[in-house]
Amino acid sequence: MSRMSGSMRGRVRTALIFIAALYLTACGVSNVVIEGSFPTPNINKLPLTVAVYYDPVLTEFTYIEYSETGNEEYNIASGQSHIELFSAVLPAMFDGVIVVDSIEEAEALGVDAIFAPIIEEFQLALPAKTKLDVYEIWIKYNMRLMTAEGDYIADWVLTSYGKTPTESLRSVEAAINAAAIVALRDLASSFSLSFTQVPEVKDWLNTL
Amino acid sequence: MKHAIGRNRLGLALLLLVLLVSCTTTTIDEFRQGETSIEGHESVVILGRRQASDYETRSEFVECVGERMTRGENSISIVPEQEFVDAMFPWFEPRTAPLRTRDLERLMTEAVVADRMTEFGVRYIVWLDGFTETTDRSGSISCTIGPGGAGCFGFGSWEDYANFDARVWDVDSLTNVGTISTDATGQSYLPAFVIPIPLIARVEANACSRLATQLKDFVNGS
Repeated sequence: MSRMSGSMRGRVRTALIFIAALYLTACGVSNVVIEGSFPTPNINKLPLTVAVYYDPVLTEFTYIEYSETGNEEYNIASGQSHIELFSAVLPAMFDGVIVVDSIEEAEALGVDAIFAPIIEEFQLALPAKTKLDVYEIWIKYNMRLMTAEGDYIADWVLTSYGKTPTESLRSVEAAINAAAIVALRDLASSFSLSFTQVPEVKDWLNTL
Repeated sequence: MKHAIGRNRLGLALLLLVLLVSCTTTTIDEFRQGETSIEGHESVVILGRRQASDYETRSEFVECVGERMTRGENSISIVPEQEFVDAMFPWFEPRTAPLRTRDLERLMTEAVVADRMTEFGVRYIVWLDGFTETTDRSGSISCTIGPGGAGCFGFGSWEDYANFDARVWDVDSLTNVGTISTDATGQSYLPAFVIPIPLIARVEANACSRLATQLKDFVNGS
């Protein structure tokens, strides 16, 4: 039996590495960390100082999309991007914004209100499953506004939606990120424009 | 000699095929509702409509139309879409963007929006709405890879259809001054004999080019 030549052995090794890489990528979950920048809204500021508490439910939020066979397919982390979003939006809405580590810390500051947003639900629709040429993301939030003493002012639900079309030279991860950024911008626009229209918030503002 | 004739014939056949596939049919339809003209210091912003649930106007197409309008004779100053949308945030997002001129009128009562519009010198807003779809896919190509090499064999073809509408709003009079529609179709081929040779009909590129030319003339009032 003739021995394999050096070049042949090299080719076989390359092919084996390629196959192994394919297997590894096919089995693993893809991690997507949502990254993007957000513009500052052009709106009138309210003469209020608000403390913001980012609940770990928001900052550590991850969503796992499962394949049709039940395997973990995409792990989407969006916590940091939400902090960046609110950091761009809130200073444009209020005269003063203080980020706090706990509700108790906010109560001690004597601010006008405490704002604590959380994510309640996250949904992802992939073209492979919907048969549409768009990636879609829905996020449902619970916006909580409290007095400086921690008493309830308002607690309302906001939903945001983002989509992006499929593109031939773009990865699924990049498309998910793009759709998430559109959804986050949607949250920023609806939150900043509808804040004073929330009935409980409106009533509270009238008492100030 | 025989070989040379054969090669020439093959070359001619290929050239004919390329010429055939290069053809796309584009139809432009213009509906004018008001007078238009633009001064040197004024600009146009082209925005993509993104309200539909099953498609959205691609930003690359919007960019293509804008870029072509800045070229050649009677070129027009175009405000980049993303720069405008970011500067106007949150008033021109998919959920908040004005759908009718009545909405724009209401939006212009916001001092911050009116100021930004003046800063950009926007005279016309062009709303682009549409998409390109691929239909009538046929044929098949199979590729194989082995230690000795790789190759593809087969033939595939498909038809692309692009349909875009451009609505032009006059920011001064807050009215819709016209609509330009473009339809483009073209057949693409992909023969593969060891190497796949894509013969692509540039449907969207043609739609972009024709629409940009028509829009430029429309805005200039010619």
